[in-house]
Amino acid sequence: MASSIPSLAIPGQLLGSASTYAAGPGTHIQQANIFASIAGPVILDPSQPKTQNKATLRVTRVLSAAAHSSPAAAGVNDASIKSRPRYNTLPAVDSIVLARVTRVQKRQAAVSILVVLDETNALNADLAKAASDNDNIASILTSAANPENHSSTDELRFQALIRREDVRAVEKDRVVMDEMFRVGDIVRGSVISLGDQSFYYLTVARNDLGVVMARSEGGNMMFPVSWKEMRDPVTGAGEQRKVARPY
Amino acid sequence: MPLDTSTTYPLTRLRLDGRRWNELRLLQAQISTNPASSGSSYLSMGNTAIMCSVHGPAEGRRGEASGAAGSAGAIVEVDVNVAGFASVDRKRKAGGSDKQSSRIATTLRSAFQSHLHTYLYPHSTISIHVSVLSADGSLLAAAINACTLALVDAGIPMPGLLTGCTSGMSGSASTPRDPRNDELDPLLDLSLPEEQELPFLTVGTTTSVPVGENSMENDEEEETKVAVLNMDSKLHCTYIETMLAVGMDGCHQIRELLEGVIKGSSRR
Repeated sequence: MASSIPSLAIPGQLLGSASTYAAGPGTHIQQANIFASIAGPVILDPSQPKTQNKATLRVTRVLSAAAHSSPAAAGVNDASIKSRPRYNTLPAVDSIVLARVTRVQKRQAAVSILVVLDETNALNADLAKAASDNDNIASILTSAANPENHSSTDELRFQALIRREDVRAVEKDRVVMDEMFRVGDIVRGSVISLGDQSFYYLTVARNDLGVVMARSEGGNMMFPVSWKEMRDPVTGAGEQRKVARPY
Repeated sequence: MPLDTSTTYPLTRLRLDGRRWNELRLLQAQISTNPASSGSSYLSMGNTAIMCSVHGPAEGRRGEASGAAGSAGAIVEVDVNVAGFASVDRKRKAGGSDKQSSRIATTLRSAFQSHLHTYLYPHSTISIHVSVLSADGSLLAAAINACTLALVDAGIPMPGLLTGCTSGMSGSASTPRDPRNDELDPLLDLSLPEEQELPFLTVGTTTSVPVGENSMENDEEEETKVAVLNMDSKLHCTYIETMLAVGMDGCHQIRELLEGVIKGSSRR
């Protein structure tokens, strides 16, 4: 059955039966058959026994480059894993992002997204190998943590909102935003919605999400002591935050 | 006028440009002609030449009063511009669109709005710009084909290629058809002189093409849907069926040509 899959699809082309394959991006199902929706090379993702029992058919949009490098249909099955895009400029739903708090209001906190983290290397696994936007993740964070850099670069970045009900999973109605974030904190969040024209929506309602870097009122970097408190190493004073679980 | 289709055709069975009744004009096309747009195409059918570029799907304009429609899916905008030098006599327009181009734009918009998988792009706009460089008949059909190529180039999902073609009758066909004495032939892919004197209709079809071994297994997949049907001329209703069948056959031929264009450009 797999031999009948064409290497190059054209919109409306029959790719296979929906009972044999699962429909991936670039395809649609019509009358229990999978058809291509866009033109491009067909890629068959092998089935993963844990999540699904069918191989996924998808059509990619890399017209000239991919077809050129692997002219035969032999590369259809295995070329997909290596050629995963390295650049992740845009936040997508479920992306983990690092963002800096720019404004804290009663019902929401406005943040600006600094970095969209790779899914493969969660934070710092192999930054050297992959050329991506995250090459200089350290310098992005240090420059963002400096108070004098705050206002200048904010408008250029993706804006996002953390709503009050997305701060934590329990006791949502007792959340006081002032005790969760301060302006200037670096927050690790997960994108829940692309939102409207002006804002993405983030959630930090998970143990591994929340404030990762914060300065105290005295201006010193604080260290986390519990899920809702960080402490200034110089003065010893504690401040309330929604702290992300350290790795 | 001696070179008149309705007078010479019954004698020679050849049309003004030497084609037989079921022959298409030469169709040439390219895609990705304009790197600045999301997708673009150039298509010529005989002496009709059309350039098309697609922008988007992009974020819809805020001021647009398209609240409910916009949230369900992308909105297709079509802009048709017939160049002043496109036809034989140069037209100097006072800016803005004339009746012909706005009709083509409306037809294209409604055809592609319902054809494309717009539900994948809520709150966004797909804008199509069609430039007619040279008008020699079958404008709407050529514009449909050019738009399809540009939308494929832009990677906008669609259930199948939407192709268009014209068909006409080789006479005025104003009286009921006589099956015993049928002297009128249907004509495929009319040129401008033919369009001006003969009744014709434009048909656009889409289909899901069966390919390879699967096509042997289930032949019922070959189902053609008529997506566009447009006719401006008068004709006795007994001829419609013939013309429609010829037009759909022409669409099928054009679809195969366009598939070759798409495959050829992705190999490059």
